[in-house]
This record gives sequence, structure tokens and C-alpha cells, in this order.
Amino acid sequence: MPSYQAPLRDMRFCLYDVFGGDELATLPGWEDFTRDLIDPVLDEAAKLCEEVLHPLNRSGDEEGCAWKEGEVTTPKGFKEAYTLFKDGGWTSIACDPAYGGQGMPAAVNILVEEMICSSNLSFGMYPGLSHGAYVSLAAHGSDELKAAYMPKLVDGTWSGTMCLTEPHCGTDLGLLRTAAIPQEDGSYAITGTKIFISAGEHDLTENILHLVLAKIPGGPKGVKGISLFLVPKFLPDAAGNPGERNAVACGSIEHKMGIKASATCVMNFDGAKGWLIGEPHKGLRAMFAMMNTERLAVGVQGLGIGEASRQNAVIYAKERIQMRSLSGVKAPDKAADPIIVHPDVRRMLLTQKAYMEGCRALAVWVAKALDVSKKHPDPEVRKENDDFVSLMTPIVKALMTDLGSEVANIGVQVFGGHGYIREHGQEQYVRDARIAQIYEGTNGVQSLDLVGRKMPEGAGRLLRRFFHPVSEYVAAKVEDETMGEFVQPLAKAFVRLQQATGQIARTALGRPDEAGAASVDYLRLFGLTALAYLWCLEVEVAKAKIDAGEGDIFYEGKIATARFFMERLLPDTGARFSAIMAGGKSMMTFPDEAF
Amino acid sequence: MADIAKVAVIGAGVMGAGIAAQVANSGTPVVLLDIVPKNLAEGGDRSAIARGAVEKMLKTEPAAFMSKAAARLVTVGNVEDDLALLSDCDWIVEAVIERLDVKQALYAKIDAVRKPGSIVSSNTSTIPLASLTQGLSDAFDADFCITHFFNPPRYMRLLEVVKGEKTRQSAIADVSRFGDVRLGKSIVPCKDRPGFIANRLGVMWMQAAVVEAFDRKMDVEDVDQIIGRPFGIPKTGVFGLLDLVGLDLMPHVNASLAATLPAEDMFHEQYRPSPLIEKMIADGYTGRKGKGGFYRVNREKGKRKEAIDLVTGEYRVAKKADVEAVKAGGKSLAKLFDHDSEAGRYAWAVMGRTLAYAALLVGDAADEVEAFDEAMRLGYNWKKGPFELIDQIGTAEFVRRLEASGLPVAPILKVADGKPFYQVVDGKREVLELDGHHNVMTRPEGVLMLEDVKLASKPILKNGSASLWDVGDGVVCFEFTSKMNSLDPDIISLLQKSISTVKKGYKALVIYNEGSQFSVGANLGLALFAANIAAWPEIENLIASGQQTYKALKYAPFPVVAAPSGMALGGGCEILLHADAIQAHAETYAGLVEVGVGLLPGWGGCKEMLDRWSKVPKMPKGPMPALAQVFEMISTAKVAKSAAEAKEMQILRPADGITMNRYRLLADAKVKALAMVEGYQPPAPPVFRLPGPSAAAALKLAVDGFWRLGKATDYDRVVSAAVAKVLTGADADMLIELSEDDLFDLERAAFMELVKTPGTLARIEHMLMTGKPLRN
Repeated sequence: MPSYQAPLRDMRFCLYDVFGGDELATLPGWEDFTRDLIDPVLDEAAKLCEEVLHPLNRSGDEEGCAWKEGEVTTPKGFKEAYTLFKDGGWTSIACDPAYGGQGMPAAVNILVEEMICSSNLSFGMYPGLSHGAYVSLAAHGSDELKAAYMPKLVDGTWSGTMCLTEPHCGTDLGLLRTAAIPQEDGSYAITGTKIFISAGEHDLTENILHLVLAKIPGGPKGVKGISLFLVPKFLPDAAGNPGERNAVACGSIEHKMGIKASATCVMNFDGAKGWLIGEPHKGLRAMFAMMNTERLAVGVQGLGIGEASRQNAVIYAKERIQMRSLSGVKAPDKAADPIIVHPDVRRMLLTQKAYMEGCRALAVWVAKALDVSKKHPDPEVRKENDDFVSLMTPIVKALMTDLGSEVANIGVQVFGGHGYIREHGQEQYVRDARIAQIYEGTNGVQSLDLVGRKMPEGAGRLLRRFFHPVSEYVAAKVEDETMGEFVQPLAKAFVRLQQATGQIARTALGRPDEAGAASVDYLRLFGLTALAYLWCLEVEVAKAKIDAGEGDIFYEGKIATARFFMERLLPDTGARFSAIMAGGKSMMTFPDEAF
Repeated sequence: MADIAKVAVIGAGVMGAGIAAQVANSGTPVVLLDIVPKNLAEGGDRSAIARGAVEKMLKTEPAAFMSKAAARLVTVGNVEDDLALLSDCDWIVEAVIERLDVKQALYAKIDAVRKPGSIVSSNTSTIPLASLTQGLSDAFDADFCITHFFNPPRYMRLLEVVKGEKTRQSAIADVSRFGDVRLGKSIVPCKDRPGFIANRLGVMWMQAAVVEAFDRKMDVEDVDQIIGRPFGIPKTGVFGLLDLVGLDLMPHVNASLAATLPAEDMFHEQYRPSPLIEKMIADGYTGRKGKGGFYRVNREKGKRKEAIDLVTGEYRVAKKADVEAVKAGGKSLAKLFDHDSEAGRYAWAVMGRTLAYAALLVGDAADEVEAFDEAMRLGYNWKKGPFELIDQIGTAEFVRRLEASGLPVAPILKVADGKPFYQVVDGKREVLELDGHHNVMTRPEGVLMLEDVKLASKPILKNGSASLWDVGDGVVCFEFTSKMNSLDPDIISLLQKSISTVKKGYKALVIYNEGSQFSVGANLGLALFAANIAAWPEIENLIASGQQTYKALKYAPFPVVAAPSGMALGGGCEILLHADAIQAHAETYAGLVEVGVGLLPGWGGCKEMLDRWSKVPKMPKGPMPALAQVFEMISTAKVAKSAAEAKEMQILRPADGITMNRYRLLADAKVKALAMVEGYQPPAPPVFRLPGPSAAAALKLAVDGFWRLGKATDYDRVVSAAVAKVLTGADADMLIELSEDDLFDLERAAFMELVKTPGTLARIEHMLMTGKPLRN
């Protein structure tokens, strides 16, 4: 049985010490979000995740969801856990108080989400999808729709879905076929099949609100002709309670690699009644309202799973005894030394730690910018932060899920054969982490978003929000006696990133394939450079604490982890840089027949 | 050949006044007469109409005059008191109302006072030459022709010249030469047929486009997209163009063509009255000059852009055209024509008919196909003339399409017999003649086109943004080839290489190109991107290498002549400043506009302007007067609106030349360069004595004054301070002698400081996105 303990100390370190989380309470309307309010929220979330959600993770995976005649049953204990979750107010923490939410800053919410993902990603899918539906409805729904659906969506009585994918159309939404025929009463009749619909059908809530992308006949072709609709499973009656069953049904659920306790449904809409959200043919825009937050949330899934795997790997490496240390016996009282003495095991554990703690800092950094982009009184500051979030969103999503997956894999390796068998739960993390690299826009698509949209925007204006602070930081600290050891590797990676950026910008104009060929390596190069910068910030805080006499093993660990990151992980930027500069010719000239 | 030294224009309407202004722009004295105003009060100005026309031209933009000095060359008067002023004129242009009786009566008066052998021409666009001269003396007939200018006369480069049966050849030659060399026009000889060339074909095209659009119930935005860009026609298409020229002009022109063209002419099929257009005109919707036209800006609805629905006649929100057929067609006209949509069918219906008509006019309106192409390129701003478009389709393919749709196949198309109208053989452009043979096209004497050189030879040096060409007689031409001829590292590096190449085997270098703009300055997109990713060393290197290269150009052991036409802004202006001489096209718009994007001239612009102004004779004593001139020019991003103005601003020096005709620019520049070869010595490096911080403080005070008046923005103060710092020599004083390199260093340092500032980055981004300066 794996264990999980919420990394509250590191979370608070990131939020308060590295990113000045106390400033959140200086934003207008957020005066209440001080440590006094935030700390108990984090403590309570940790308790719920450790005690309620985590124990259901393995069993949920073993049991999976069951489909019978259109009904889906979630694994044992999920319904009760959901009731606790809902009653605890956790479905509404990031929702607007105007709809009964608690309006928690994203920088706090993202930490709660990490805990949920660490303890039970499958479970987290249900409220997670509801939140996506909430964001779209809040941004673009009419007042009538909001009045009818928001309160129960926010308080968790009802849940939501996002219905995008169809059998023939995934990434390319322009191919969509689901049709929406206008009805006399102002509603639409929705007909079509949607697949891969997470939480499409389940027994946790009394009603399910499907947000469906469909085409109104006669509209523009391609993605410009897509509209967004709200299609409830049960049409609310006069009292607002679930009434008549709508013509939407779950045809089956998928059998899949991981997140088995999350119901992934085929949804059939057969003239189902739906209402337009936003303007006709502007459905994609309505969907994009939730894109930044959703992609951040998926990035955090990678972090959450990786963190869980990492914790168990550390425990196992200290307990498991096998072989003697290469440099002599370390535990003479035992038959062998604990495997944590072996260089490669230490390499693995440090890799996990350096990546995951770096990712946590990245998540908090971007989430806090998201908060500032919405709440700051100065429009210029809001815009700068909005730019930054747009730029970093694909990086957060792809880097954190790629690294989460890598870290989960390392977690199996530390366990050896015991990681491969189901008993210890390490292999489940690998399976569960895998999907996050795929959904919400594959990581390949994230990389294209970075080089194709974010990079050229405003001739690099978005890039400025990262490059200028880092450039100034490097210039200020590279000669610094105590920080030089960390800032010099950062400076090296940063120059590589600048050169690769310039190269891609130059070639992309005439040869878009070149940008595509460079994109995945570029995103990793960018992400690792960002982590290097964040590790420098963490070291500065840790050093300051130690200098102030508050030092302990946590801060010493921070400095040592940063050193490992700079020396052993950041050099990957050199390889990525070489790959980018080599160009895409070797791939693009390769004959298809020769594959 | 007789020289035309003085000109008269009678009729001070838009065309007459504009023609007079252009004559004055050429440095030729001109008399401008109009009638005495009706109901004139006792003692009133009897020449008020002509005088008012000149005054109005001095105020309107784009300006008709190239300089205030040019305006002083115009003598105004009226046809009752001042006909005597015509007696020493070599050319008298009539541009009065389009009424035969009025014109003939005027001709009789002119004939009475003009000097023998003076040329008289009419700017008529509708009345046949044969009728104009009816009843006049043989001598008058011999001196008379039609010279048809296009509006506005300064900027439209087409001049259609019609020779009458009795017109003496020398009169045509003299007027053509003057029109070409002095007025800068491209002369297209036309026959005495209605509408001559450009309007005959252009009106047919517009009429076909409008009639087909109504018949097919199309959206005006779609129409303008379909018959715009795909055919190299300005994006105003037809409805945008009608809004521009005025809807009320069309019925008049149409009626005139309908009345004068023979019954079998294809025009009549397209000549149908349109109730909607008539109603629009009646309601005052005559286009941009009226309440709006096919498009309008609805101010009641927050400056909403609207377009008229051709079916209902109601305005609706304008849309951004996104015609599938145009996208699917790409660069292929065949694909556009064949696109199975109303848009595809429309494209062929309009352009097929127009091009078929153009072919029918060969031998009628003119004998040479190139005359039609030149007329449409310069009279309607088409990128390609009708026969170039037919070549693009393919003559055989075009004939097949005409036959398939029952359109007439003109004799010239049968003569072509599948061969193209234009071809290049052995590096020479040839054109199809009426006899079915291709003949080599020749340029007039004194015309040298780089496009011809490029057909006949390979560049000496070349990279992605520039090329170096041998233009003969030991002269080489450095050509920018980047987008909008913006300056980038590739141009700088090829310029460096070119300097060594010229040293080794050539006599002189001309910097010239045939783009519509000489250079819009540094590539801002690249610069902004580099700044956004904090690539400071890269930016500083670019500035430094630009400075070193421009300096090397200045001190190269051979003459360098820069020959700009169109915009020469920022770095594109600075390269002019480092040439030994400038031979500028009259329509050159030069200026140091860097502050508009929050920067300052970093490639020696500050330095060279300081040097130029310090050498202006009759300036008050001390460094401040010159410095203040340069400061004002740079800190307000002042752009010369002509080569003449550039001379006033000292961008051109007194010895620099101005060429009126665009086609003659390279040849003139080459002559200038060759004249300097013998005994050439590079210039002596200037030294500077600058007043330092106290002068900077004085300039700051002046800017603060503007700022308090709301004429300068917050960030203007920052940028102006940087400019002031460079121009006053930072911490220099009058006792210190500063070198050219010191000034370069100051420019570079100030530039780097600005480019790191958010205010500058916001300005650059705004300029790139909107094309307009940001006033932050």
C-alpha cells in the first residue's frame, strides 16, 4: 500500500517565501486571503486527500467503473468520498463568490489540486471537469443559464463535462459533425456522438451538465462554425430540480491504461435539448475561456502523480536493503545496505525531487501571475501578467506532465520488480500519469502552440515577460559570490534559449516545418531554463533563511537539490539546443516508405 | 527640338490647378488662368478662382506642390484680363469644362495671343480631337494635341498624348519630352478614340464589375476581394475605387462613352443604368467626398464600418471578405475562374470580358500592346496590365476560355496564336507586334532600368536581402531586396562585401532599387523580437556594424551615389547621408523617424545631420542654431514630403540632384557617379565641438514646454532627452574636439538605453501591429 503525505512545507515555501504569497491579500477584494485563511485551507485539503481520497486510489484502480444499460457505477467508496468532498465545500473553492464560490486565488487552488492529483487523480477528474464547465459558463453563459445552473454546479450537487472529441475528430475540431438544429423555443436539438468524455456518466451527482461543441447548419466551415451548448442530463423542472430525462445517453465506457476509476464515456446525443452558450459560431472562443486554467490544472496532474511516486520511492529506498555500498559498508548491522546508498538510486531520487519541486515552483509562479492578471488594479500590470500566463501555459502543461511521467517511471525503477507488480501501487502512477501528456491538447500540440502562436505574438511580446526578468536577474547575479555557482549554469542555458528562439523565429517565417520540428525540444529547453531560474530563486530564499539562523535540513536540501539540478539535469539544455540548431531536414526529407 | 521654358494652364479646377502645380514643381514658371468669378462684387479679385485654387493646394494633403518655392513659380490671372500672359508661353494647356463650344471659343482667344509655334493642348477626356479643332486655323491644328493627365497630376504618372491628323510631329515630340523629363510622366501615345486607353478599358472593367455584381447579388466586400489582389489590382477593387473617385462621376463618363463609341462596341452590353447607384447619388451618397458610398463609416454607431447591400440598398455591418474561391485559387487565375462558386464565375465574367475587350482595342485605341499595359499600370495602379494578365493565363488557354463562353476573340489573339505577348530572349524583353513577330523592347535614351539589367545578367553578389549588379561603364548598383526594403543584418553584411568588390574592379557605386519604397528603415520586427528576448549583444552588434559599414561607405576610395525614390526612412535615410552624393527621385520621402518608435538614429544620422547643418551658410553664430534645427527634425520625426523638401532639410545637399521621372533615376545617378570618378577623393572626416549638458538642459526646457501644452507625451520627453544628449555631446564642452567615432559611440549608447525601455518596446510593437505611432 503506497502512502502519501501532502508536501505542505514546500508548498508554503513556494507560495509565501519564493513568490510573496502575502501580496495576494493586497489585491483589491482579496483582503481576506491572508495566511490565517489560506493555511487552514491547505491543512484541511491535506487531511481530506491523505485520509479520504488516497485510500481509494488503489481500490478504485482495481475495481474501475462499471457500465450497465447506460448507467455508470463508480468504484466503491467514491460516492461517499464525493459527498464529503462536496459538503466540505471543495467543489467551490475556486469559483466566484457571485455564484456561491469561495473565490480562492489560483495560487492556492493549484496547491489543493496538486494534493488531489497526488492522492487520487481518477477521483479528481469528476470535480475537475465540473470546474471546466463552470469557467466556460461563467464567462459566456447568458444570465438565464447562469441562474438556472450555476448554483448547483458550484456547490457540487450537479457536475459538468466538456464534450469536444468525436470518433473522427480529436485535435482537429474543424472536422466536427455533431449538429445543433434551432428550435422554436430558442433551444437547439443536438444530435451526434462524442467520445472520450470524462465524467460523462456516473453516480456521484443527481444531474450532469454537458458542455457540447456542435455546428449550427449553414454556419461557416471549419472551426469558425462551431458553437457551444449546454445539454443537461435531466432538464430542470419548475422548481429547478432534475426533471425530464434529456435525449443524451452513455453508450459505453472505455477500457483504458490508467485513471480507471474515472468514467471515460461514449455519449450519444439524439435530438437532445440544449441551449447556446455565448454567440453562435463563437464556441471555440467560449471554450478558450477555460483553456489557460484547464491546461495549468492538467500540468499539475503531472506534478501530483510524480510527487506521489517520489514519496514512495524515497521510503522504499531507505527501507529496502540490497547490496553493499561501492565505497564500503554503510549499515553493518544489516545483511545489506539500504539501496539509498547506491549512486544510481540517489541519482534517481534527486532527479525526482529536483524536477517535482521545480515544477511546483513553476505552477505557483504561473498561478500567481494568473491571479494578478485578473485582480491587479493597473491594466498594464494585468496585461503583462496575462501575457506571461499565455506564454507559460503550454510549458506548464507539457513540461510538468512529461516530467511527471518520467518521474513516475523512475519511481518504478527504484522499486525494481516490486515497482512493476501492482501490490505497491508504483505502476499505477505510471499508467495514471500517461494520459496527462495526451489530453487537453497533446504535448506536441502544446509545443506547436508555444512556437507557432505564443512566440510570434506581438513580435515576441509574450516572450519579453520571461526573457527580461531572467536577463536582468542573470546580469545582476552572475558575478555574485554566493549565487554565481547557480546563476552561471542558468546564464548558459538562457543564452542557449535566446539563440534557439532567434533561430526558430528566423526560420519559422519561410519554413513552418522547421518550427514544428524544433518545437518539442524547444519547449523542453525553455522549461528547463525556467526551472533553473526558479531553483536560483529557491536557493536565494534558502540561503537567506540559513543566514538568518533559521536554517534546517529543508533549506540545506533546497540548496543541494539546486546544485544537483544545475550539474546533472540542466545540461540537457545543451543536447536540446544542438537538436534544435540541427534543423528538421533529417526528419522532413525522410521518405515515408522507408519508415 | 524646341525647349519648353514657360507654360500656361487655363482652367483652375482640380486637374488644371494640379497640372500647373506639377509644372511649377519642375522648376518651370507657369501661368494659371480661370474665368472671372460670376457676380463679383465691385473691386473684388477678378483672379480669385485661380488664386483660390493655388491657396487651396497649399493646404491640402497629399500636397500638389513639392515645395513652397514651387508655388511661387505660379502666376495667377483670369482669361479676360490676362490673356497677354500667354504670349511668351511655349505650351498652353487647356483644362476647362468639358464643353465643345466653351473650348473652341477659348482656342480662338488663345490663338489670337499665343506666340507662333507654341503648343496648345487639351486635357479633355471625352471630346475627340477632331471635333476640338474644327474651324480653327491650320497653324493652330498643327500645334494642337491632347495631353490627358490623371488625377492627381503630381502623383499619377500616366500622360496620354493624342496626336491629331494635322498635328506636327515636333509638337508631339516637344510636349512628350517635357512631360517625360520635366513632369516625370510616362508618355503613352493614343489614337483619337473615345476614352483613349486607360479610361476606355478602365470604365469597361468597372462597369462589367458593377453590373455583374448586381446581377449576381454579391456582397461588395467579396467583389472587391475577388477582382482586387488576385489580379494585381489595388485592394479597393471596384466599389472601393468608385467610392474614391466619386459615384457621380460614373454616369457622366459612361454616357459620354456610350454616345461616342460605335454601336458594335462591347461597352454597350455593359452600359446599363443602375437604380441603386442613381438613388445613392441623388441622396448624396457619392463616395468618400459625400456621405459615404458603397462603404461608409457610421458615426452614429460608434464609427462602425458599414457596406451597402446591393439587393436591398440598405447599409449593414461591413465584413472582412474571406472568399473561398480566392483562397482556393491561390496564385492561379485558372483555379479562381474554375472554382465552382458564384465568386469563381464572377471573376471570369468580369475579367474575361475586360481582357477580351483590351485585346479588341489593339489597333483601335493604340497599336502597341505595351501601351495598354503601361496605361493600366500607371492610370489604374494595376500591378500587371491586361496583356500581362493574359500572358499569366496563357494566350491559348485564354482563347479557349473566350470561345467556351462565347466572348469575342480579337484579331491580336489570333495573331498571337498561342505565343505570349511578352517573352524574354537572350536577356531581352520582347513584345508581340501586330504582324505576329516579337520585337525587342527598347527604352528611351536616358532611361536605364535595373529590371532590364536583371534579365540580362547575374548579380555580382547576392544574399537574402540584397544584390549587387553591374550596370555598365564600371558602375555597380547595390539593390535592397528585403520586404519593404527594410534593413537587416544581411544587407549590412552584403554592403560590407560590396565595398571590397567595388574597390577591386569597379569605378563607382550607386545605391538604388526599383521597389515602391527605397527603404522603410531597419527591420523593426527583427529588432523588436531581439529586444523581447533580451538579445542585447546582438542588437548592439547590429548597431555597431551598421555604423562601421556606413562609415566605410563614406570613406571608400570611390564615389558613392544614393538614388532614392519613395520612402527613405530611418536607416534608409542614414545611408543617403553617408553617400558622396544623392540623386533623388522628386517623389522621395526622407526623414529620421526613429523617435516614432522610441529610438533615435543610431547609424550616424545624428552625426551627419549635425555636420550638414553646421555647414549651412548664413546660420547664426555658435553651435546652437544648427543643433536646434537637427534636434527639432529628429525629435519630431520630420519627414520631407518631396526631394525638394529634403533639400530644405539639408538631407540633400545643394549639389545633389533631383530626377522627375522615376524611369530616369538610375541613369541620372550613374551619370552623377561617373562624373565624380576622375580625381575622386573621399571626404575629410568632420570634427565636432558640442556644447554639452547646459545645451541639453535648454532643449529639455523646450520639450517640457511642449509637454505642458499637451503637444509632447510623457515618453516623448524620455526619447527627446536621449536625442538631446547625443546632439549636445553628452558631457562634452566646446573645448573638446569630438570625432566621428565619438558621435557613433554616443548614438549607440543612447540607442541601447532606449531599446531596453518598455516605452520603446510598446512603441515598436504598436507600429508593427497598426502601422501607426503610439503616443505614449
